[in-house]
Amino acid sequence: MVVESAVREPLITGGKSVHDVTEDISRRVEQKPAPTWLLAMAVSLGLLAVGSYSVGTLLWEGIGVWGNNNTIGWAWDITNFVWWVGIGHAGTLISAVLLLFRQRWRMSINRASEAMTIFAVICAAMFPVLHMGRPWLGAFWALPLPNTYGSLWVNFNSPLLWDVFAISTYFSVSLVFWYIGLIPDFATIRDRATNKISAAIYGALSFGWVGAARDWSRYETVSLVLAGLATPLVLSVHTIVSFDFATSVIPGWHTTIFPPYFVAGAIFSGFAMVLTLLIVTRKVYKLEDYITLQHLEMMNIVIIVTGSIVGIAYITEFFIASYSGVEAEQYAFINRAFGPYNWAYWSMMTCNVISPQLFWFKKIRTSIASTFIISIIVNIGMWFERFVIIVTSLHRDFLPGSWSMFEPTIHDMGTYLFTFGLFFTLFFLFAKFFPVINMAEVKSIVKATGEKVTAKEVQVETAEKVEN
Amino acid sequence: MESNKNFVLGVYEDEDVLLKAIKEVRGAGVKIDEVYSPFPVHGIEDVLGYKRSRLSIVAFMFGVLGTSLALTMQIGMLGIDWPMIIGGKDFIAIPDFVPVTFELTVLLASFGMVGTFMVISNLKPWAKPRIYDIRITDDKHVMAVDLAKNDLSEDQIKGIIDGSGASEVNNKEFE
Amino acid sequence: MKKTNKVYWKGLEQLTNDVEFVKNADKEFGTMLPEEESEPPSRRDFLKMMGFGIAAASLAACEAPVRKAIPYVKKPTTVDPSIPNYYATTYHVGNEYNALVIKTREGRPIKAEGNSFATFQGCSTTTQSEASILSLYDEERLRGPQIDQKKADWSDVDKQVSDALASASKVTLVSYSVFSPATASAIAELGNKYPSLEHVMYDPISAQGELEANKETFGKRALASYDFSKAKTMVSIGSDFIGAHHSHATNNNQFVQTRKLGNGKKDMSRLYVFESNMTLTGANADYRVRIKPSEEAAYVANLYNMVAGKLGGGRVNAPKVADTKHLQKAAKELLTNKGASIVVAGSNDRNVQILTNALNNLLGNYGTTIDINKHVNLRKGDDAQMNQFVDNLKNKSAGAVIFYNCNPVYDHPRGEEIATAISGLKVSISTADRPDETASLVKYNAPDHHYLESWNDFEPVAGVFSFSQPTISNLFDTRQAQESFLRWSGNLTMSFYDYLQSLWGSHPKVANFPNFQSFFDNLLYEGVFMDETVEADALAFNYDVSSLSFTGAAAKGLEITIVESAALGAGFQGNNPWLHEMSDPITKACWDNYITVSAEWADANGIKLGYMKSRIANLTVNGNTVEIPIVVQPGQAEGTIGLALGYGRTKAGKVGNNIGVSGYPFVKYAKGANHFSTDGVSVEVTEKEYRIAQTQTAETYAGRSFVIQESILKEYQKDEYAGRHQLKITDASGNKLSPNAVTLWQGHSYNNHHWGMAIDLNSCTGCGACTVACQVENNIPVVGKKEILNGRSMNWLRIDRYYSYDETRITEDTGFLDVGKIKEEAAANPEVVFQPMMCQQCNNAPCETVCPVAATTHSSEGLNQMTYNRCIGTRYCANNCPYKVRRFNWFKFHDNKQFAMNTSMNNDLGKMVLNPDVTVRARGVMEKCSFCVQRIQSGKLRAKKENRRPVDGDIISACASACPTDAMVFGDMNDPNSKISKLLKIKKEEKRVEAEEPRAFHALEELRVMPNVWYMTKIRNKDEESKKEAHA
Repeated sequence: MVVESAVREPLITGGKSVHDVTEDISRRVEQKPAPTWLLAMAVSLGLLAVGSYSVGTLLWEGIGVWGNNNTIGWAWDITNFVWWVGIGHAGTLISAVLLLFRQRWRMSINRASEAMTIFAVICAAMFPVLHMGRPWLGAFWALPLPNTYGSLWVNFNSPLLWDVFAISTYFSVSLVFWYIGLIPDFATIRDRATNKISAAIYGALSFGWVGAARDWSRYETVSLVLAGLATPLVLSVHTIVSFDFATSVIPGWHTTIFPPYFVAGAIFSGFAMVLTLLIVTRKVYKLEDYITLQHLEMMNIVIIVTGSIVGIAYITEFFIASYSGVEAEQYAFINRAFGPYNWAYWSMMTCNVISPQLFWFKKIRTSIASTFIISIIVNIGMWFERFVIIVTSLHRDFLPGSWSMFEPTIHDMGTYLFTFGLFFTLFFLFAKFFPVINMAEVKSIVKATGEKVTAKEVQVETAEKVEN
Repeated sequence: MESNKNFVLGVYEDEDVLLKAIKEVRGAGVKIDEVYSPFPVHGIEDVLGYKRSRLSIVAFMFGVLGTSLALTMQIGMLGIDWPMIIGGKDFIAIPDFVPVTFELTVLLASFGMVGTFMVISNLKPWAKPRIYDIRITDDKHVMAVDLAKNDLSEDQIKGIIDGSGASEVNNKEFE
Repeated sequence: MKKTNKVYWKGLEQLTNDVEFVKNADKEFGTMLPEEESEPPSRRDFLKMMGFGIAAASLAACEAPVRKAIPYVKKPTTVDPSIPNYYATTYHVGNEYNALVIKTREGRPIKAEGNSFATFQGCSTTTQSEASILSLYDEERLRGPQIDQKKADWSDVDKQVSDALASASKVTLVSYSVFSPATASAIAELGNKYPSLEHVMYDPISAQGELEANKETFGKRALASYDFSKAKTMVSIGSDFIGAHHSHATNNNQFVQTRKLGNGKKDMSRLYVFESNMTLTGANADYRVRIKPSEEAAYVANLYNMVAGKLGGGRVNAPKVADTKHLQKAAKELLTNKGASIVVAGSNDRNVQILTNALNNLLGNYGTTIDINKHVNLRKGDDAQMNQFVDNLKNKSAGAVIFYNCNPVYDHPRGEEIATAISGLKVSISTADRPDETASLVKYNAPDHHYLESWNDFEPVAGVFSFSQPTISNLFDTRQAQESFLRWSGNLTMSFYDYLQSLWGSHPKVANFPNFQSFFDNLLYEGVFMDETVEADALAFNYDVSSLSFTGAAAKGLEITIVESAALGAGFQGNNPWLHEMSDPITKACWDNYITVSAEWADANGIKLGYMKSRIANLTVNGNTVEIPIVVQPGQAEGTIGLALGYGRTKAGKVGNNIGVSGYPFVKYAKGANHFSTDGVSVEVTEKEYRIAQTQTAETYAGRSFVIQESILKEYQKDEYAGRHQLKITDASGNKLSPNAVTLWQGHSYNNHHWGMAIDLNSCTGCGACTVACQVENNIPVVGKKEILNGRSMNWLRIDRYYSYDETRITEDTGFLDVGKIKEEAAANPEVVFQPMMCQQCNNAPCETVCPVAATTHSSEGLNQMTYNRCIGTRYCANNCPYKVRRFNWFKFHDNKQFAMNTSMNNDLGKMVLNPDVTVRARGVMEKCSFCVQRIQSGKLRAKKENRRPVDGDIISACASACPTDAMVFGDMNDPNSKISKLLKIKKEEKRVEAEEPRAFHALEELRVMPNVWYMTKIRNKDEESKKEAHA
């Protein structure tokens, strides 16, 4: 059990008791779906349907239905992929890294953000498959499977193959991490269940958890070690995604700064997306006492930091390009800022570098409305960042003879919509049927706020730190 | 263990009281079967005298396994089984094998550890758990004492628990 | 010899005369197999049956695709499946000519190669002859004879035609230039039968001026043959002898011979071009001056006067001209290179050509660089005669008209009048291969064979013969036109083949052969025949130019120059998708025609065009107006516009109909000749948006010396490394090294073969024959305008065309960003460089590294291989290719109605052209240049069968073999005696190859991808760098 210095304002307000926590969170799961929820669900399913049409056309006709061409082999497809993966970073980061750093304010937001992570990664994973010329083969040929052709292995030198491993590992580990967290809460709902069906379902989901001290102690170890493993994993995923570009030879891609810069960008966009979702959730589910202004402010601070890192990265790129003395490299960056796609570059700059700086003002940082708006602006900016990196680098590379332009088609947009539909459908299902806040963890801090530290607790703390 | 049917349950409201109580009860020579809580109570394993879980070592072992598997696979496939000239690189281009090796290490480590945890804690969808008190998963801490494993009489035990600040003391019987 | 009668026993049984044995002695098998006594089917039998039944049923259920493959019942001895046969023949469509060797597989012609005996034309193919294979398999061809456009059979046609001709008051036979002796005499036979027969010859793009001039000055109406290879100074005034010319293959080859450098040769010819459109000749010029077509006469006259001034010839009065600087420079050099120079003029104005002849005569070029006695027969057409014919046609005095493989309704300026007149004709006959603009109006269609189904002989140049032999039996119920003539001439019933033989039977050379057949076989084997028995005439220049006068200054208004399209020529193969897909060497546009306007004009009219964007203009030339898009063309002379012929076909076929507009109606007939440039032009640009499909949109190479490395001869003579961008990198210990020297890896050595290619930028004239050859050889799909607009051309080999930018615009105080902009904009009169760009077969290929499934890997012979059936289409390789030469199958281009224009993959007939050695790629896979790996393999196999190593020349890539100028050299860099090793001075090191030839460089060398393709610097024969000259 944990210590809060008296000066800090409480993480959970409204004098909630442990039982209140159970009530507030579980009620959402047990109640009939609210009309607002039904509406939201309908909208996301609509998006999904519209998107599916484009995806269908894509699979039937070929990649040609997109705007990509010989020079610009990747455009919206990989832009969206990187964008979603980026978003999919906050969740695990929040639960893993903040857990390691003992940031207890994570507790009321990690459940939702982890869910978001998983759904975002699912959406991201759509694109590497859909962007293939022959997905029906690529889907499994990208794995090192023994096959009837004899020795026909995959190419472990390829960053794309690294992606396959990175994304799937990240996805499955995040999933496990998330589920471990869910088990005790499922047990709670199981024990509150009033009808047989939900008792059976949540019983199964809870894996027969009873909350024995022995299990709790193992549980703690597991989540701690998982956190320890997930942290480098989170950092590795976007590092490896950035390798797709960093290890290439294309001016504007071939940049050693990419790994840290991508990771920062990922956290940046991830937190922004978490904010967007939580601001809605806490309103709809009346969870203001659990997801307090302080939480939002904390996250806004993270956004200022990462946003600034990204900004510095943008400027560094320019410096290095000019310093490198490589003509093509210099041109690539001039072209970004002043070429035919400069609109993309400058919208990226404004959204990612300027807008988060507003959070230096406490007033803006602590205003729900402005936070909500900026959180969305940030993700628009991050989409443009990937677009700028991918399309503007490709469209004018070494040989002017092959220079070209990219124009998106309705199916580029349709495929993007498809993933939105998918994402929100999954998220709303989660919000209805799963406890959106980690009850067990929150309960453990309900009492904590403003207590005196006891010798034993210090031991425990240190003991746990040793493990990491 | 034989005949663990009859239990005395001490129900506690507050984790600090619980921790104190455990020490008292154990001090009075009562063997506590297990304590159940709605959330992890820090330091409870110490007062109950549990050994620290060795799951972290398991994780490490699986990690090592992952690393070696990954390297064997990559070197075996591209270096030995079917070498191909790819981008003029060496057949065994170790730097290129690092990312996959790392990922597989993490993957096996986490899955190995979690798997082990599930097994030893007997967590599985079809598990039929013994629910001592449904309020455990809500807000109550419950100390379960197996009468069969204690020499003290039921009343003595109840007395001790009651004295340790339990809000209720109940009996629980399983068939 | 003592007779032995040993008896061998079949066994002891025989020895002992066993009863059983004797009984069965005659039987082959001693005992019969045991009869199975029938018993009611057991349970096991039932199971067997059922098992078989199920298996059979399930097998029947999975339907096998129906494959149309007809096995040889009786295999022709000469045809071996998978072994190609080669036949020497001659390309002849319209009035285009090219001596070829045709590759056939299983009896199907699939590829044209140059004829190595045809030295007179550089042994190469042309764009059109390469593509003509597909015209053979064109579904739109007439399937048989027709009467009144309805199916008929030959007997009826012959009967009716013969009667009709007999009853006709007059017979007119219209054709393009006929330079086939046998055909000529076949027509003569017809003439014998119908004495009234008049043979009218015309050419869509006529050489009337030159022909008439030669008649005037030498007394013979024939074209002189040029030998550019002997010329040191060449001046072209409005003549595109490299691009659009009846002998452009020959000219290319000869011209480039004077441009080769290296191995001690440090001098080259100099070419001055005075022209209005940016033509291939202009693009290859050392000095190019932009003039208006109406100024051509004045320039010729002034040049003449300058030379005559020195050599004391009669002056002509000539108006002033704008640019005397270059003219004087040219005159000076012409004089220094007397007898080793050529002046050519493009004008169809008789007097201009006369003066050009006089000029060449003054310079003593006749007999050295120009041979009037060895005349070229490719153009004989007489515009005046044709014009007269059209009049006759209109006043119904032409009688019965036979259109022999010509299409005047489309390609004659007075086409419309002809069209209306034909309908009035009682008897009109066409031998065209399809119901084209003319043939669709005639009464009788007697379709001719395709040239690949025909026998024929040709005399392109006096004393030089070449032959056609069928490479496939006629696909349809067509008949060779000459044979039809023989039929209609009545008495002759022999086949044209026999007729041809009979004509050659009397040839003196037959004596040198055991018999006629062996003589004739030899002719067909070699395909060409240099006949020195044909005695040349001895013509001498005899004309007094003083009578000529060139008054009249340059016209004021806008002028148009109408030229042959680089891809479609005069439009004879208007239905050939390969030609439509080939992008114009200069504008890089395809599937369209347009008017080219100068940048100045565009600015003056405030026209800004975006990426592949254009606007529709109303073009009005002497009265008639058309809507046509515009393209801004650097190097276009101010006050002029250009227009290409060959487009605007309306009855060519599904592929070619209604693409662009036809330029023929704008050709002006005056002073007895068709003039391909005229004034009185107005262009009014509308707001209507239009999109022009281009395979390249960038104008310059933005001064990127890692892409193109060029210099001028003066510098080269000082230092062979002139213009080279020799990148050095510094290693940790401060040594300066070539980028190749530093690596993280051990690398690989290629010990057996190491294939490579050298491309001499100095030799590449940009003609584009290689790109079509590549398309034919490698089954490359045609994707059509829409996909080109999407930037998805599938060509494995493209030719990047770069203009120079205007360096004078950059001064000390030009802003950093503006410098960049200027470097991307072509100069008003730019220098041009062509860079053929295909897969560079990098030894450290970035594409290989990034493929997740190892679908592209490196071979032990240095080839970058693409494994189509392993490819999953992530396109990562294409992104990571610094040369952007990889091509992705965005759609299913074969068997797909959306790509009907891709006829070689979308109809059964067209598919016959596909190369069986090359996979037709599936949707969603990546493809690219393979260095013609199929040719490498077959070459190696051939060598292996002959139990030797492949020697240089056994294996040549399609592009290299098509190149008329030997700009591309393909070979094994491990073979020290190979042409490429010598050319590049290859130095083999343990794990890398270095070229020691000073001019040799790698594109993007600093990336250290170590390509196997080398480029050689472009050297222009200039005295000063363009910048300095501009200042001077």
